[in-house]
Amino acid sequence: MALLEVRDLHKRFPKHGGVLNRVVGNVHAVNGVSFDVNEGEVVGIVGESGCGKSTLGKTVIQLLGATEGSIKFDDQELTSLSHAEMMPFRRKMQMIFQDPYSSLNPRLTVRQLLREAIRFHKVVGADQVEAHIDSIIEKVGLRPDSKDKFPHEFSGGQRQRIGIARALCLKPKFLVADEPVSALDVSIQAAVLNLMMDLKDEFGLTMMFISHDLKVVEHFCDRVLVMYLGHVVEELTCDNLHADARHPYTTALLGANPIDDPTQRRSLTILKGDVPSPYNPPPGCPFTTRCPVVKDRCHQEMPPLEDKDATPGHRAACWEVEGAGVASSAAAGEG
Amino acid sequence: MMLKRFLRSRGMRKLRRNRMAMVASAVIGLYALVALFALFGGVSLDDTKRRVWRENTPGFLQPMSKEIADYTLDWHADKWLRPKMEAARRASDERSRQFSFDTAALGQRTLADLPGDELIALWDEAAGIYDEWRELQDTADEANEELEFFRIDLDAERAKDAPDQDMIEELEGEIEYYEGQLEQAARAPELAADLRAKLLELHPVPTGVPGMVYRAKLWFGTDSKGASIIIKGLYATKIAFQIGFVTAVGAVLIGTLLGAAAGFFGRFVDEAVMWIVSTLSSIPYLVLLAVLVVMFRGSIFDNEARPALALVPLYAAFGMTFWVGTCRVIRGEVMKIKELEYVQAATAIGFARPYIVLRHVVPNTVHLMFINFSLLFIAAIKGEVILSFLGLGVKGQPSWGIMIAHSKDQVSSGFFWEILTATALMFGLVLAFNILSDALQDAFDPKHVS
Repeated sequence: MALLEVRDLHKRFPKHGGVLNRVVGNVHAVNGVSFDVNEGEVVGIVGESGCGKSTLGKTVIQLLGATEGSIKFDDQELTSLSHAEMMPFRRKMQMIFQDPYSSLNPRLTVRQLLREAIRFHKVVGADQVEAHIDSIIEKVGLRPDSKDKFPHEFSGGQRQRIGIARALCLKPKFLVADEPVSALDVSIQAAVLNLMMDLKDEFGLTMMFISHDLKVVEHFCDRVLVMYLGHVVEELTCDNLHADARHPYTTALLGANPIDDPTQRRSLTILKGDVPSPYNPPPGCPFTTRCPVVKDRCHQEMPPLEDKDATPGHRAACWEVEGAGVASSAAAGEG
Repeated sequence: MMLKRFLRSRGMRKLRRNRMAMVASAVIGLYALVALFALFGGVSLDDTKRRVWRENTPGFLQPMSKEIADYTLDWHADKWLRPKMEAARRASDERSRQFSFDTAALGQRTLADLPGDELIALWDEAAGIYDEWRELQDTADEANEELEFFRIDLDAERAKDAPDQDMIEELEGEIEYYEGQLEQAARAPELAADLRAKLLELHPVPTGVPGMVYRAKLWFGTDSKGASIIIKGLYATKIAFQIGFVTAVGAVLIGTLLGAAAGFFGRFVDEAVMWIVSTLSSIPYLVLLAVLVVMFRGSIFDNEARPALALVPLYAAFGMTFWVGTCRVIRGEVMKIKELEYVQAATAIGFARPYIVLRHVVPNTVHLMFINFSLLFIAAIKGEVILSFLGLGVKGQPSWGIMIAHSKDQVSSGFFWEILTATALMFGLVLAFNILSDALQDAFDPKHVS
């Protein structure tokens, strides 16, 4: 059974304008997204900047209210809950933020930061709070004496570990990691990713891993959702990412990744132009402005996200992908 | 714990390295000590009204000319001591005689510690010398005047074609007579010295600490009622600190709370707060202050007998208008902070929104609170001076504005000590605070503090 079920989720940000400050339009950040996350699974969300990945993550854990659609966690609908009713779920769903420099309150020490959260949710008894803080700090790989230091005394990687500690000290079941390593140096990225993998096993976490780095996602996730302008355009398993990719956007993304074998040539599909404005998206498929295989039909109707081949867990939203093979030549070329 | 952590913080370390800021802090500390000293009774309201010497005495930097010295002697013996001693002589009983002696005191200079009869005997001697000295001076004045006329007449007579010999002889006789008078009057400075010695015997300058206090009170001269200007200045420092501190604390608190609420909760809270802010800031603040102060007239706060209450209208007027700027600055900062990820993390943990504001947002605006505090502090002091000068501010007790207002008529007659003292004290404090708030701005600028 799925731990998290998201159905037809929309998130629109109203845009105000004019003398009377009326709503003159909406920014469609998340546009009809549906997916499941099974217990113990790590689902990656990839896409370029501004495609709504972070908004999706924040909406799922109810940092932002959904405009439409349903989010079910443990079979409980979250979108209709009040602040108080949400409280037990707040503890079960936590988030790791992208920027380790702005995700820690500069005026609180590590100990204060963790104690505040632990006490609030009564994760452990009052007499075990300090012991719990010690164990969490040790688990995320920080030295015990860093408890009474302020965030500015740490490096970026260490700060990200503190952010992970803050999320994990509540013993959550579900974690949204919003580009947790993209602000870090490459060498630190690996260390933090390995830490997250270890902690995932130790805490039995289910994760939503948001990233724009396909390599990281492939390494870390079980499944991946590819997003473009608020839509999920393809859903694949990570075991065979390159062979399975069908959607032209996915193949372009995969093609843009450098490969670590100099004897191989990659097939580059360079996308022309920019992402259209989410304030005024094109009709039909959102990818039409840059798609290399665009047809008339694409401009008229949004393709549904549906199974295109026999591979389980693989769905794509493209009129041009008909069963195996079509529009996949580019992707196949890389494998 | 909080203070220790604050002192160790990066901003404070940066502030401590700034030498100008440290000097400014020391100056402010000095003022604060004076204010505290006055607040805890070191300088009372009565002290500021007590006569310490003749009115409009110049301060120590201005040398006393012979005319002023003589005039002072005149005032001391004739205008000040004579009525009191005559009253003592006429007194019907011991108590009223003692009362006369007591009122003859000049600040720390009480009458000599002698039995009443000896005091009166001493005074009689002094009065004898004074009268003689005064007579000699009158004689000398008259002689000088007459001599001038006779000499002109004599010259005129001699210049004639046919001078009248009898007339010349008569004139020469007159001149000889007045020159003799003048010779006698040459004894006047001697008598003046005697008189000074007698008066010092009657009115001894105290020794030790009271003596130092007495001399210190005369450093900056006296005002038009003979009260010490420096004592008034010190008392006014207390008033300035009271007004500055109460107003700045109040305005920063109100401004921070409303600004944080407006910035964080947005929507109608923001609309309401910003409506008040823009309404208040569209009124020229001095006009608003004047109206508010006038509004308080005739209330229990308009009572000179209760100086502590008399400041309440000023606190209210400044507090009501000054929070506006702080509110706007804090609101902007809070709008910035609330988008930061640590606030989202706190939301994800599930904290209530008021808790997030007070624990995670407001503490991160503390640098703005400091800067605004120092700016509002001087703004309040300057506002107090302006309002007091206009007669709308402090009443019944000295303040820098009152001192400036009082001395404005005397400046044209060369007496500038009161206005100089008040201005210099205000200048020092305002300059120190300006330097400090600049340094605070540098030290706590979020661009340099991560």
